[in-house]
Amino acid sequence: MRFLFNLLLMIVVALGVGFGLSYYTLGDGRLIGAVKVGPWAAWPGVGASSPDPYTRAYLARTGSLELGRSEGVAFTATTDSDGQPLDRNCRYRIDGTTPVAGFWTLRAIGADGDNIAPAGGQQALRSRSVARANDGSLLLYVSKTLAPDNWLEITGAGPFQLVLTLYDPSNLSGAGVAVQTLPGILKEVCRT
Amino acid sequence: MKTVVWLLGGILLGVIIHIGVILGLPAVATNTVWSRVAALGADDKAIVLPVPAPGAPNPLQLDPELSYAVCKVNLSAGPGAVSATLPDAYWSLAIFNKAGTVIYSTTNRDGIGQNLNLGIFNPDQTHLLAEQRIDIADGLLIVESPDDDVFVVVRLAPPHEIERKRYEAALSKIACGNIKS
Repeated sequence: MRFLFNLLLMIVVALGVGFGLSYYTLGDGRLIGAVKVGPWAAWPGVGASSPDPYTRAYLARTGSLELGRSEGVAFTATTDSDGQPLDRNCRYRIDGTTPVAGFWTLRAIGADGDNIAPAGGQQALRSRSVARANDGSLLLYVSKTLAPDNWLEITGAGPFQLVLTLYDPSNLSGAGVAVQTLPGILKEVCRT
Repeated sequence: MKTVVWLLGGILLGVIIHIGVILGLPAVATNTVWSRVAALGADDKAIVLPVPAPGAPNPLQLDPELSYAVCKVNLSAGPGAVSATLPDAYWSLAIFNKAGTVIYSTTNRDGIGQNLNLGIFNPDQTHLLAEQRIDIADGLLIVESPDDDVFVVVRLAPPHEIERKRYEAALSKIACGNIKS
């Protein structure tokens, strides 16, 4: 009886560790292969010609068109700067500076990667159409309700993700590895 | 004490499962970027990808601010060639293999300008090229691909939304296929 219990325990632990660790490393928990800058995370190896095994598995899992190293790097955030999951009922302030790049875009997506902008609305913000402070820093808002300055409108309810893509990163050696600072994501108010 | 040993055994087995999952996933995954591009029917021709509407599935994770064209080439029928004259705006190109890995990428900032003229050769063809047994046009940018199955993605950034149609028309005119010997 004790043997059966130990065997069952070992199998449960093995499956939990094996698949749990795999899910975590290939998802947003990204222990290996990903670069984290504040709440933002990117897989710098996705654009490399010889990616490591974790990045290969990530590519197989996502099945999306990744950017080559010369093209840019995409950072994704699932939480705000305090580590709380992004919630569509809240208003977030994106505050700070972006690395030097040709241009960047910011979009909000749902869990399935669908864009959560309203129908007919602006699906993304682009660097060249965003007003900046005198020191060049960004101040923009992501929310369902009208916000001042630069506003990325979202719809629906539940969690979401922000994708900040830096294109033409000629000044980013290592395509994302050298990125030291990205804007913070600060929760302001939430509607209940 | 014995339970602790079983637990450690479980953790060890879990790490082995984890390594197996990571190494085996690329071989068993079905919804890969290759299968998605293959479903577009972009064999030897450039297909402009429609920008998904808000709320619509976006499995390729296209950026709505950009316009995209894809083209699939099989190098077993001869070296691949991609050529076009693109608008004077930011554009980039990436060559993917069947595993979804980018084997080469460049942008118009790399001194290429508006004229895209790219040749994709497998190792055997590169060898023949070095022996001058394949004729190519002057100024062709040569890229060697270890695999025969590749697809090319061209990204173009229209400065304004109103110009998207014109930019997508330019993308649709990209010539893509095998170099005829």
